[in-house]
Amino acid sequence: MTSCPRFAPLLGARPGELSSSEMRALEAHLATCERCRLAAADLAVTDGLVRDGLIQKANARDFAPFVDEVMARIAGAGPARHLPAVAPAARGLRAWLAGHRRAVATALAPVLAAAALIVYVRQQGQRPGQVAMLELASEGDVTMVLQTSDGPVVLLGEERT
Amino acid sequence: MSRRFLARAGAAAFLALAVLAGPVVASAGVPVGIRVIKGSRQGPAEVDPRLDDLKRQLSPLAYVRWELVRSEKLDLERGKTEFVPLPGGDSVGVTMQEQRGDVVTFEVSLTSRNTESRLTVEKGQRIVHQVTPEKGGEALFVTVQAWP
Amino acid sequence: MEVDDLSLVSKARTGDPDAFRALVVRFQRKVYAVALGIVKDPDLAWDVAQEAFVRVHQSLATFEGKSAFSTWLFRITTHLAIDTLRKERPTQKEDVDEVREADLEGGGEGILSTALGNDPRANVLRRELAAKIQDALANLSEKHRTILVLREVEGLSYEELAERLGIHKGTVMSRLFHARKNMQAALRRYAGRPARAASEEEEQP
Repeated sequence: MTSCPRFAPLLGARPGELSSSEMRALEAHLATCERCRLAAADLAVTDGLVRDGLIQKANARDFAPFVDEVMARIAGAGPARHLPAVAPAARGLRAWLAGHRRAVATALAPVLAAAALIVYVRQQGQRPGQVAMLELASEGDVTMVLQTSDGPVVLLGEERT
Repeated sequence: MSRRFLARAGAAAFLALAVLAGPVVASAGVPVGIRVIKGSRQGPAEVDPRLDDLKRQLSPLAYVRWELVRSEKLDLERGKTEFVPLPGGDSVGVTMQEQRGDVVTFEVSLTSRNTESRLTVEKGQRIVHQVTPEKGGEALFVTVQAWP
Repeated sequence: MEVDDLSLVSKARTGDPDAFRALVVRFQRKVYAVALGIVKDPDLAWDVAQEAFVRVHQSLATFEGKSAFSTWLFRITTHLAIDTLRKERPTQKEDVDEVREADLEGGGEGILSTALGNDPRANVLRRELAAKIQDALANLSEKHRTILVLREVEGLSYEELAERLGIHKGTVMSRLFHARKNMQAALRRYAGRPARAASEEEEQP
């Protein structure tokens, strides 16, 4: 009966998660146990794979409609996919405003429609302290905005008829 | 929540209207450089030397060849829109909405598509905005820079 | 991201829709990744992720800032994801958390570290494995998937995992052991194949 069952679960610990006596005991065990050393090696190489893989999947997905759909659900319009089909230009902010019609006086709506949504993002770049406030009108087919230290690059989505 | 939202919306609307209605004082305009450029996926891979300052900003894009189609320099007063004609008959509207020190807010609007983008940049930065959808591997962009 | 969560949260609490939208945009992908790891299906994960933000919005007034906003958000996401799964499959065979000698046999230790070489991050095989993670995770039970996702994507410590899942720290460690073991077994099957064969398989309908 080896002591491996006691030590195997300790292998994935991060700094500070094991007490110093646990650490010493683990090190002593690893010094003599090749099986656990190999297990530790396997753990080291696969560290972060789950995170990388799932984040990769998230990055591969188009999140452009996500926040609008969330706002539509909050407004009580139900999950976005149950909304009746609307013309693409009416998606986004207008759909959300439609849900808030009670809260928004008619006179204000045209101004708000032009005001767009504000995303506070600090640009990455060589100079810290640069803030780029990107305000995108949701009535467009803007699919991607690249943030560069030289300024934003705004790309259009595919033409919709 | 709805009451607070209304109050905030009211304030924003008031502010927006105040800005647009603006005092009728001949405010000094901001000098703005606007260029229309064409990007192509087909080579030869070459960037017009007059567009060298854009190279880094354009580098993430797939277009390998960049040509200068049109270049203008003008003073834009707050709230005024300059319509830049594009080859093909469309035009792009560029409006300087706000200026606070070195920070300027522009609005770029495409008349043929329902697109309006409001972008705030610092002095030394350029806005690069696609203005036509890609066709045959080519697309047009407009670049806007304050104090070029 | 320099504009800190807390200032966006306090703005959102006063009813500022733009601040709330900024919070959504900031966390949407990570919330989706956590949901995806637990519920497996991408469209279901999308739904769970959106619903998590809706719940957060509904309870914004009660958020006191005692824990980090992100912790609260992910706690809601986890519960929603697990509940969603339970609706689909109400009873599951229980896993054993305790680690026994038998669990260590036939482990194939060393195959992965050998295959991935000395600098795993630069290795193409590692990228391929990452792409297969969803498939590998799908082989795991809900309990194992959940604890792995929380450990790796949300980055919770043993203490935090114990609190989130309502189990002892020792159970956390053994459950993670089993989860990793099962995941690595699934990955070894992929690592054992030459890359070309694996991609040929993917092209089959």
